[in-house]
Amino acid sequence: MKFKPANVAPAELDMTPMIDIVFQLITFFMVINKFDQDEADERVFLPRDSLAKPPAVQRKDAFVLNFGFIRNVDKSIADNTPYLFFGDERITMEQVRPRLRQESQFYQTIGTKLEDVTVEIRADADIKSGMIQELIQMCQEKDIEFQRFALKATQAAVP
Amino acid sequence: MKIRNRVSGSKIQLDMTPMIDVVFQLMIFFMCTLKVIEPEGDFDISMPLGAPSAAAVTEAELPPFKVRMEADGNGDLQALYFNGTNLGSGDQAFARLNSEVFRAITALQAIGPDQQEKQEVEIDPDYALHYRNIINAIGACSGRLGQNGIPVRYISKIKFAPRREP
Repeated sequence: MKFKPANVAPAELDMTPMIDIVFQLITFFMVINKFDQDEADERVFLPRDSLAKPPAVQRKDAFVLNFGFIRNVDKSIADNTPYLFFGDERITMEQVRPRLRQESQFYQTIGTKLEDVTVEIRADADIKSGMIQELIQMCQEKDIEFQRFALKATQAAVP
Repeated sequence: MKIRNRVSGSKIQLDMTPMIDVVFQLMIFFMCTLKVIEPEGDFDISMPLGAPSAAAVTEAELPPFKVRMEADGNGDLQALYFNGTNLGSGDQAFARLNSEVFRAITALQAIGPDQQEKQEVEIDPDYALHYRNIINAIGACSGRLGQNGIPVRYISKIKFAPRREP
């Protein structure tokens, strides 16, 4: 049996709704992406508090110390020694002094007064309190001399 | 003057393929770089350099409220004291601390309107106490959540006592 080829014009797909949705998706992801929290280390499990609010005015001069544990996949602590995380590098508290000195010198070099610099401490909820005090004391030592400190916490949901 | 429309009626076909390619690439980029991070806040804290001296408290300045926190062997809160009064342990202790601080600042407001702003809290934890308890204590001293989740501030000047030895 012989079929006649149908002489139909090629079907045109209307792409407009798809492009609309895709643009909306891009806008959504751009808005919810917070690039300014890049210094927050995911290995640190912060304590929670409902009154922990971000500062009303963004701090101009602040540097973050991430202080936490190496954890297993199930989030249990793998190594009881807490570490300070600087990107891929991790150091113990005994080794942090040169790093703090370096930060302090950096701010002095660019002409920022050390009393205007806030040290934001992102510490794990399971770290010993005495270690946090020790870290703050280290930051206040001669040749480092930071004066302002802020303790970070995750904002707990309002019941 | 009559202008002839010389353009024939055929539609201009825009090739959308490169744009859609780029748009999809952008979407994949934003999806992959998306980090689900919970919102973070913070508390300002100070730490005196030297050991506290009784002479440092003048008549004009009120002595700080003292929050002493004792740890058990696991680093959990064993006892919480506010100006020497034992408030117990666990979450209830922080709720009691919040009430005690409120009572104390109400008394301060009776002395003078600016006394509350000047008042300090000194947190004195055991070395081994888990840090989450410090944040809970700071939260309890800082204030409470009022209606519609708006915070009511109690005390903003919070400092650590000198570190205790492990």
